[in-house]
Amino acid sequence: MSLNFLLIDDDEIERLKFARVLQKNNYPHSIVEAKNGEEALEILAQKEQPDLIFLDLNMPKMNGLEFLRELKSNADLRYIPVIILSTSNNHQDLKEAYKIGAAGYIVKPLKYEDYMHKIKCLIEYWSVNELLQV
Amino acid sequence: MSSDDILILKRALVREKTARKQAEKILEDKSRELFLLTHELKGANEKLQDLIGKKELELQGVFDNLVDAYVLIDVYGNILEMNNAAKILFGYDITEEKINVMSLVYKEDYQYAMTSFQQLVSEGSFTDYQARVYTKNNGVRTVHINASLIKDKKNNSIRAQGIIRDITEELEQKQIFEEQKKQLSAIVENSSLGIALTQQDKILQCNKAFQDLLGYTQEELLSKEIKDVSLAIHNGSPAEFLQKMEKGEIDTFSMNQKYIRQDQSAFWAKTNVAAVRNPNGSIKYQVTLVEDITEQLEFEKQREKFVKDLEKTNNELKDYAHIVSHDLKSPLRNINALVNWIKEDYGDVLNTKGLNHFSMIETTLEKMETLINDILSYSSAGDKDNLNTKKIDLNSLVNDIKNIVLIPKTTSVNVLKKLPVIKGDVTRIQQLFQNLIGNAVIYMDKENGKVEIDYQDKNTHHLFIIRDNGIGIKEEYHNKIFKMFQSVGDNENSTGVGLAIVKKVVELYDGEIWLESTLGIGSTFYFTLKK
Repeated sequence: MSLNFLLIDDDEIERLKFARVLQKNNYPHSIVEAKNGEEALEILAQKEQPDLIFLDLNMPKMNGLEFLRELKSNADLRYIPVIILSTSNNHQDLKEAYKIGAAGYIVKPLKYEDYMHKIKCLIEYWSVNELLQV
Repeated sequence: MSSDDILILKRALVREKTARKQAEKILEDKSRELFLLTHELKGANEKLQDLIGKKELELQGVFDNLVDAYVLIDVYGNILEMNNAAKILFGYDITEEKINVMSLVYKEDYQYAMTSFQQLVSEGSFTDYQARVYTKNNGVRTVHINASLIKDKKNNSIRAQGIIRDITEELEQKQIFEEQKKQLSAIVENSSLGIALTQQDKILQCNKAFQDLLGYTQEELLSKEIKDVSLAIHNGSPAEFLQKMEKGEIDTFSMNQKYIRQDQSAFWAKTNVAAVRNPNGSIKYQVTLVEDITEQLEFEKQREKFVKDLEKTNNELKDYAHIVSHDLKSPLRNINALVNWIKEDYGDVLNTKGLNHFSMIETTLEKMETLINDILSYSSAGDKDNLNTKKIDLNSLVNDIKNIVLIPKTTSVNVLKKLPVIKGDVTRIQQLFQNLIGNAVIYMDKENGKVEIDYQDKNTHHLFIIRDNGIGIKEEYHNKIFKMFQSVGDNENSTGVGLAIVKKVVELYDGEIWLESTLGIGSTFYFTLKK
């Protein structure tokens, strides 16, 4: 099954990393990238809804949690699962993210190998999930 | 002789007889009168003698019981009589030894004594003589004397008498009182507190500080009332307090009051008012103490602001450390990814040396990440707001740590005594034990490494002891090791943050940490945690 991802991260290399994991593992999934929350909302308004959103927390303009709040208050978009990709393992951030309605929370590891492992697990997990199509 | 003659003679004889009888009767009467008169006189005389005796006794009684000393002297100064008080004062008994008053006069007062004595002779008396005298047993005393001459009928001086009062103690008391008065006025005058005596709000007297505080002279202030120089009331109404004071319900009160200087500028002063009462309880006057607290209030305000600022800065710093740590990690991750990709994509065109350098970059990145993590945990270690306090069984905590810390087979880690269950934040307590146990294991140079964990109950605190037979720490480093980034060992992986975190956690739980160590033999770390 091919999934559509929306990756929201202001860091170009982070976006490259994610794309490389898909490419290197020959995943059939497609990816749309947004540099921040605002851009992501525009994309969501225009294009077909993604199956899964990967969201960085620390971004300029609209940050991750603000975007998440916005998304969860939108009746059309609220069921799209959002996985947080964060640099912070701070308990408060974690709690806040889940409170608003994150579906998962990944702390980005230092090593690229570790990162690849985590993303692979995630994608494989979500590939076998039934997803709600609104 | 004729019969006529005889008749004549007879008649003459009768006449003569009668005349004699009459004379005898007169004589008898006169004699009786004289006897009666003599008798009366004798009686009167006896009565008079009695009276004199009585008066003399009375006088003696008076003299003897006189509180003041009484001395009677002759014109040469020899003491003839002393009453009881005089005997006690001078300590002499004139029935036993003869004394001349001049021998009693204090050496330095001799001239004055002579002058006074001459005044006594020439004017018949002197009063308010005040000088020092020698006494037999009581040293030199200061006395007050009033004296007068006694003269005989011919106006010759025969005696002199004096009433003597010992005023030594009175003078001493007076002197003490004067001294105290002086001291008090010196204190009042030089006090930095403004002090005023007031009566019904009216200023009766005030010290220099009070004048300086308000910028008026004493004279100006004496025509003023407290309400003329004060403004609004900070806490409590003085009128209310004064009423209570008037009623006798309170003797003192204290309040902050705003005063107005002569130049119309205002200042806050702490004002203490104390009542000085008459014997019947009514208020004689009030002592008002005024202390300028403008600066103090300013200071307090400033301090409050400082505390607030500090709190804010602290919070910012916490956030800052947090954010910076994560922001610093992002580039590290990126570098790591890029290095990885170069190795993956161009591995075959790189030689061993090049690949080796890339490995070194990766190691450096890891070290950098450890450092950032340490800073992060150090900055959150002492954070009191973020504690997750629970009961912790230290026995299982230490067991967990033994599994986490890589312990070589040559080293044993033993708990000597059953450890207590304490209350605390698991993360912090684990950091504490893990760092200390970890250090003991890492800095172990002996074949047969021993790490022992001991415990003592110290009433208010738990005392933990972690002892090792490792490399030991030079005494000059004993303080340094607890400071941030001060790694004194030669372990490459040490960032020098571990013991700084340990100290922070110990302090978080109101404890202390110290160590005993001998280089080459081992170290013992002691730390306490408040129960």
